[in-house]
Amino acid sequence: MATDKELTDFLKSVEKRAFKRTAYAVREDDSALDIVQDAMIRLADKYADRPAAEFPMLFQRILSNATMDWFRRQKVRNAVLTNLSDFEGADDDGDFDLLETLTSIDGSLGTESASDTVSRDQILRVIEAEVAALPGRQREAFLLRYWEEFDVAETAAVMGCSEGSVKTHCSRAVHALAKALRTKGITP
Amino acid sequence: MRITSTYPDAATLQARLAARLVGALNEQAAAVPHDISERLRVAREQAVARARESRQRAPAGSTSAVLAGASGGAAILGLGSGGQPPWWQRMASVLPLAVLLAGLLVIGQVTSREQIMAAAEIDSVLLADDLPPAAYTDPGFAEFLNSPSP
Repeated sequence: MATDKELTDFLKSVEKRAFKRTAYAVREDDSALDIVQDAMIRLADKYADRPAAEFPMLFQRILSNATMDWFRRQKVRNAVLTNLSDFEGADDDGDFDLLETLTSIDGSLGTESASDTVSRDQILRVIEAEVAALPGRQREAFLLRYWEEFDVAETAAVMGCSEGSVKTHCSRAVHALAKALRTKGITP
Repeated sequence: MRITSTYPDAATLQARLAARLVGALNEQAAAVPHDISERLRVAREQAVARARESRQRAPAGSTSAVLAGASGGAAILGLGSGGQPPWWQRMASVLPLAVLLAGLLVIGQVTSREQIMAAAEIDSVLLADDLPPAAYTDPGFAEFLNSPSP
């Protein structure tokens, strides 16, 4: 059974990422805060007796469900249905594009000079906006896999889909981000 | 002669690019406004308090409750072996419903009897009263008089 300190430490480590992830989905800070709070309370109410090691998976699952509940309550059916766009379009960007973008971002964010501070903030905001603009399932897979550092199986369990789908979502998300960033001028 | 590509494979590129993007997201997450981080702190503290309550509630449900009697003695309300309350406690919860149903039946009977009595009183007053002359011109009344008595 997890102690109060373990629960506190876990929530402290995850709360800001959870807020951001939810805000990307619902696009309202107040609603995102309510959803994160709801997820925290649900975790504490129902799973406080579980070992602390189970908290990350449980919390992400609860947070996903709480976000879906919010969408249902808001009756924003279209926002949910945009997930279907995951199945549209083919990836015409090759590996070279990824490398190109990677080099670009390395160059943009790698070393900071005083004169580049404003530009750097703008790049960070652009990246955040592009992540928020991803289709819901792609964004969820990308954030769980790379931000929460879940492996493919864990991400699939949280999302309730197959591991193959997770890989597809992640690949499409990264390619879409690379393409969008190049379009925004983050190129060598 | 074997030619090897100088470019990393797709999965490696994808992971490296994702890592850079996530680094940017981490910077943005760390820089959330003060009011948001305060609201998150309050939410976290509320959640931890709820977890504490939930843990305290769990063992309390499996122990027996002890109530002191009015005479100074102690009456122990023990739970059954499966955590179920004893039969007389379950009956006690059903008793108010039984009393309510019995009360409704009694009220129904009394109301019905009162209605019958009121109708009988009206009939007796009508029968004991003088017959108005207009009644003799009523064909229904004439038919009633001609019909054999039961």
